[in-house]
Amino acid sequence: MSNATFALEALTGIPQHLAALAPATTDNPKADFSDTPWWLSLVKALLIFVYLLLSTLLVIWFERRVIGRMQQRPGPNRTGPFGLLQTLADGMKLMLKEDITPAAADRVVYSLAPLIAATMAFVSFAIIPIGPDVWMFGHHTPLQLTDLPVAVLLVLAVAGIGVYGIVLAGWSSGSTYPLVGGLRSSAQVISYEIAMGLALVAVFLYSGSMSTSQIVAAQSSLWYILPAFFSFVVYVITMVGETNRLPFDLAEGEGELTGGFHTEYSSMRFAMFYLAEYINMFTVSALATTMFLGGWQAPPGIAAINSGMFNHGWWGILWFTIKLWIFMWFFVWLRGSLPRVRYDQFMRLGWKFLIPVTLAWVVAVAFIRGAQLGYLGDSTVGLVGREFPVATLVIVGVIAALALGATWVWEGKQADKVARESAPPPERIDPYAGGYPVPPMPGQELVEPSPAISGSPTPVALKEDTRG
Amino acid sequence: MPAVTVSFASALPAAFQATQVDYKAIAPMLVVFGGALLGVLVEAFAPRRLRYLVQVGVAVVALVVAFVVLVTVSVHDQGITLARAVVIDGPALFLQGTLLAITLLSVLTMAERFGGEGPDAFTPMGASVPGSPQEAAALRAGLATSEVFPLTLFSLGGMMLFPAAGDLLTMFIALEVLSLPLYLLCGLARRRRLLSQEAALKYFLLGAFSSAFFLFGAALLYGYSGSVYLSDIAKAVTTASGDLDGLLLPGVVLVLVGLLFKVAAVPFHSWTPDVYQGAPTPVTGFMAAATKIAAFGAILRLVYVGLEANRWDWRGGVIVVAALTMVVGSVLSVTQTDIKRLLAYSSIAHAGFVLVAVLAFDRLGVAGVLFYLVAYSFTTIAAFAIVSMVRQGGSEASHLSQWAGLGRNHPVVAFVFAFLLLAFAGIPLTSGFTAKFAAFAPALAHGGTYGVWLVVIGVLCSVITAFVYFRLIVLMYFTKPVEGVVAEQVSPLTTVAITVGTLATLVLGVVPAQVLELAKSSSLFLR
Amino acid sequence: MTNPYVPLLFLLALGAGFAVLSVGTSLVVGPKRYNRAKLEAYECGIQPSPHAAGGGRVPIKYYLTAMLFIIFDIESVFLYPFAVAFNQLGLFALVEMVLFVLTVFVAYAYVWRRGGLEWD
Repeated sequence: MSNATFALEALTGIPQHLAALAPATTDNPKADFSDTPWWLSLVKALLIFVYLLLSTLLVIWFERRVIGRMQQRPGPNRTGPFGLLQTLADGMKLMLKEDITPAAADRVVYSLAPLIAATMAFVSFAIIPIGPDVWMFGHHTPLQLTDLPVAVLLVLAVAGIGVYGIVLAGWSSGSTYPLVGGLRSSAQVISYEIAMGLALVAVFLYSGSMSTSQIVAAQSSLWYILPAFFSFVVYVITMVGETNRLPFDLAEGEGELTGGFHTEYSSMRFAMFYLAEYINMFTVSALATTMFLGGWQAPPGIAAINSGMFNHGWWGILWFTIKLWIFMWFFVWLRGSLPRVRYDQFMRLGWKFLIPVTLAWVVAVAFIRGAQLGYLGDSTVGLVGREFPVATLVIVGVIAALALGATWVWEGKQADKVARESAPPPERIDPYAGGYPVPPMPGQELVEPSPAISGSPTPVALKEDTRG
Repeated sequence: MPAVTVSFASALPAAFQATQVDYKAIAPMLVVFGGALLGVLVEAFAPRRLRYLVQVGVAVVALVVAFVVLVTVSVHDQGITLARAVVIDGPALFLQGTLLAITLLSVLTMAERFGGEGPDAFTPMGASVPGSPQEAAALRAGLATSEVFPLTLFSLGGMMLFPAAGDLLTMFIALEVLSLPLYLLCGLARRRRLLSQEAALKYFLLGAFSSAFFLFGAALLYGYSGSVYLSDIAKAVTTASGDLDGLLLPGVVLVLVGLLFKVAAVPFHSWTPDVYQGAPTPVTGFMAAATKIAAFGAILRLVYVGLEANRWDWRGGVIVVAALTMVVGSVLSVTQTDIKRLLAYSSIAHAGFVLVAVLAFDRLGVAGVLFYLVAYSFTTIAAFAIVSMVRQGGSEASHLSQWAGLGRNHPVVAFVFAFLLLAFAGIPLTSGFTAKFAAFAPALAHGGTYGVWLVVIGVLCSVITAFVYFRLIVLMYFTKPVEGVVAEQVSPLTTVAITVGTLATLVLGVVPAQVLELAKSSSLFLR
Repeated sequence: MTNPYVPLLFLLALGAGFAVLSVGTSLVVGPKRYNRAKLEAYECGIQPSPHAAGGGRVPIKYYLTAMLFIIFDIESVFLYPFAVAFNQLGLFALVEMVLFVLTVFVAYAYVWRRGGLEWD
C-alpha cells in the first residue's frame, strides 16, 4: 500500500483495506464452559478458595523463613515440621484474642471494613486460568472458575472496591494514625492503578482480547514478557505499589504511622486485613503470570516434550503454581533487601515517571503492532537470510533512537546535577545575603559586615532591617 | 480461534466498524479545540512575560482561521457525520459562524489591560486585593490570568457543537463542555470578588441541576424511542404504538427545562441577574451573547428535528414560558439600579422575544431566530464592553446613579451606548427593530391565535423596556455629572470590539437584507 | 452455566461467608474484659484532635490526587477498547489513538507544569 493511501485513510477515516486484512479473531473467552453445570462451578469455587487459603498459610511461613535466612537467623521452625504450622497457630491465637472496638469508632463502618477487604480479595481469582480443560466429575471443564470478555477489567474493578476496605477502616477508626494511613494507602493504590492499567494496554494490543483464557491461548508460541517487556517491568513495580508491600508500604510505615489503617484493629478483624493483603499479592502475581508468563502453559523447553504432553490436563496447575511462587518469592526478596521509600519519592515515581513513560510505551507498541499487522506497508527486506518487514524495522529503529536520545538527555541532566551538587562551596560568604544569618561551612570565610563608620549608610540600614 | 460457545455468543457485540468522519465539515470546531489545546501548552511552558501576548495571539488566530475555514470549506461540505452525532447543516453553520465572530469580539474585550500587565478584569488569585503585594506575589508565582483565553476557546468549542448535535448525548456533552469553563470564568473577577465567587457557585449549582434535568429527560426520551438520535425520536413520535406515551411528555419537558435554563427563560432565569452582575464584565458579555446563540441553536434543533411531530402536546407550556419571560424580564428591568442587572433582565426579555419566533414552527421562524441572535449578540458585546469602560476610582461604575451625566463628560461613549440601548429597545434604523420584525412576523403568519397574542405581549413588553432604556439615556444626558466617574481610555482591542459591535447594530438596522437572506437560506435542518 | 457472572457470586459468597464466620467466631470465643483505657484511640493518652471519624480535615493533596486519578484513569480506560479491537480497526485507529494520547499529554504537561503533581 502506498503512502498516499495511508494519508487518504488517515484523512478520510476509512480503512480501505480493512476487510482484506482483518483477522477472524474474537475478543471473547476461549475457555469453553458449556459442559460445566452450576454445581461444578461451586466445587471449583470451593477449590480456589481452599487453594488461596492454603497458599496464604504457606506464604506467610515462607516469607518469615526466607527473610530469616536473609538476616542470618533461622525464622520460625518450632511449630510443626520446619515450622510449617506457625501461621495456623498464629491465626488460632488471634481468634482467641479480644476484639476491641474503640469508643470513638464508627461502629458499623468499623465492622464492615475488614469484611469488605477480605471478601473482595477472593473474587478476582475467579477469572484466573489455572489450567487447561480437564475431566472433573464426568464433565469436560476448564480449570478456571469463569471467564468474561472483560475479565482483566474485572480484576481492576474489584481491586478498586478493595480500596474501600482500607479507606473505610482508616476513616472509621476514630484515630489519627489510621486516618492518615488509610488516606495514604488509597492515594497510593489509585496513583499506581493508572500506570498498571496502561501497562496492560500493551498486552491487549498483542492479544486482541481482555479475556484471560484468550490471552493465555495467544501466548502459546511467545510469552508476552518478551514483546511487552517494558509493560512487564512497569506492572511488577505497580503491583508492589498496589499491594502496599515493601518498599512501598507507606500506609503502614511503623516509624511514622504505627500500623497505618489497621492500627486500631485487633483479633480476627486484623487477621482479615492481613489475609486480604496476602491474597491480593497472589491475585496480582496470578495476573502477572497470566498476562506475561503464559499462564498455566509449560515453559518453552518442557512444552515441546512428547508433543506437548505437559501442556495438557492437570499439569497446568503445576506450572501455574511455580510461576506464581516466583513472584511471591520476588515480593519477599524485595522486602528483605530494600528500605522503605519516602512518600513524595513514591508519588513522584508514579506520577512523573511511570505514567508518561508507560503512555509513550503504549504508543510505541501500537506502532509496532500496526507494522506487524501490515497497516504501515507490506514491503519486506532480506537481512541475514531472513525476511523482515520494513515498517517494523523502521518503527523499532525510531523507538530505539528516541529511547537513546531520551537517555542521553537524562544522563546529561544527571551529570549537571551531580556537578552542581559536588561543586565546592564558595570560599567567602556573606552571612546576610539571604536576609537571615547563615553560619559558614567548614573552610569558608565570613565576609564581615562593613563597619558603620566607613561612609555609606546602606549596610547599616540593611543590617537593622534584617535583624529587626 | 472460533471456539466461542453458544451460551456466550448471545451477548457478543458485532464486529467493530470505524465511523466515517467528514473532517471538512467539522474543521472549524477542530481548529477551535486545537487552539484551546495549544493555549493550554502555552500556559504550561511559555514564560510568564510572554504568556499574555501569546495567548491573545493564539486565540485570535484560532478564531480567525476557524471562521475562514467555515466560510470557505465547511459551507460546501455540509452533512451528517461522526456516526450521526454531529449534523453540519445551514442553521448549525450559521450559528457557528456567528459564535466565532462574537467570541472574537469577546476575546478582544477580555484582553483589555488598561495599562496593566495582564487582563484587567481577571484575578490571578481569588483571595488577593487588586494591586496588592499578594496579587503581585501570585503573578510572580506564575498564577497568570491568561488562562481565560483557552477556557474561552474550550467553551466556544462546546457552544459550536451544541447547535450541531445530532443526538441527545452529544448535546449533553456539548452542554457540559460549554458550561464548565464558564463556571470558572465567572469566578475570576478581579474586583468585587465575593460577588464573583458567589456568582460562580450559584451558576455552577443551578447549572448542574439543569444538566441533571436535561439528562433525565434524555433518559426518558431514550426509553420512549429506543434511541438518542433526534431523527429517530422524531420517527418514534409519529410511528410509536402508544404503549410508552407516558414517557414522552415528561422527557420533552425535562429536556426543554435543561435548555431553557441556559437561555434564561422564566421561571428558570433566577441565576441570570446574579451571575451577570458578579462575573467579570467581558465574561458577562460573552455569556450573554454566545451562550444564548448556542442554546437557542440547540433548542431549535431539538424542537424542529426531534419533537415537532408532537408539538401540540408541549407547545402550551412553552407559550406560557415565552409570555412569562417577556413580561417578567421587561417589568423587573424597570426596578433595577445596577447597570449589569438591568442588562441581565433585558437579556431575559430578549430570550422571550426569540422564543416567540421559535414557536412559529416555520422556516421563516428559524430564519427569524437566527437573525435575532446575530443582531442581539453584536449589540450585547458592545454594550458590555462599554460597561467595563465606565469607572469610578478604578472599579466599574455599575450603579445607575453613577452613570448620571456621562453624556456631558464623555459624549462619544455616551452616544454609542445610547445607540446600543435604542437597539435593545427595538427602535427603527437599529438592528433591534429589524430583528424584532424578523422574529414576530413569522409568529403572526404561522403561529395562529397564540402567535398573535404572543406578538401583542412582545410589543407591549418592548414598550416597557424602551421606557427603561430611555430613562437611562435621559439620565446620561440631562442630569448633573457625578464626581470621579470616567470612561477609561481603552486599548485598540476594545475599541475594535465596540466599533464592530456598533457598526453591526447600525448596518443590520439599515441594510439588513443580505444577512436576512443568508439566515433564510440557511434555515433548513438536515434530519 | 449460562451466565458467566454467576460463578463470581459463588466465590464472593464463600469469601464473605468465611470473613463473617471467622470474625463472628472470634467475637464469641475471644475474651471480653472491659477497660476504659483500652477503648481509647491508639495514642499517648490524649484524645486525637481533630476527630477523625465524621469530621476534621485532611490535606487537599488527597482530593487533588483523587481527581487527577479519575481524569487519567478514565483516559487510560478509553485505550482498552481501542487495544482490544486494534487488529480489526486499521490505520485509522492508530492515528486517532495517537491524537488522543497527545491530547492526554497536553493535559498532563499542564498539570505537571502548574505543580499539580508535586507532593509537599
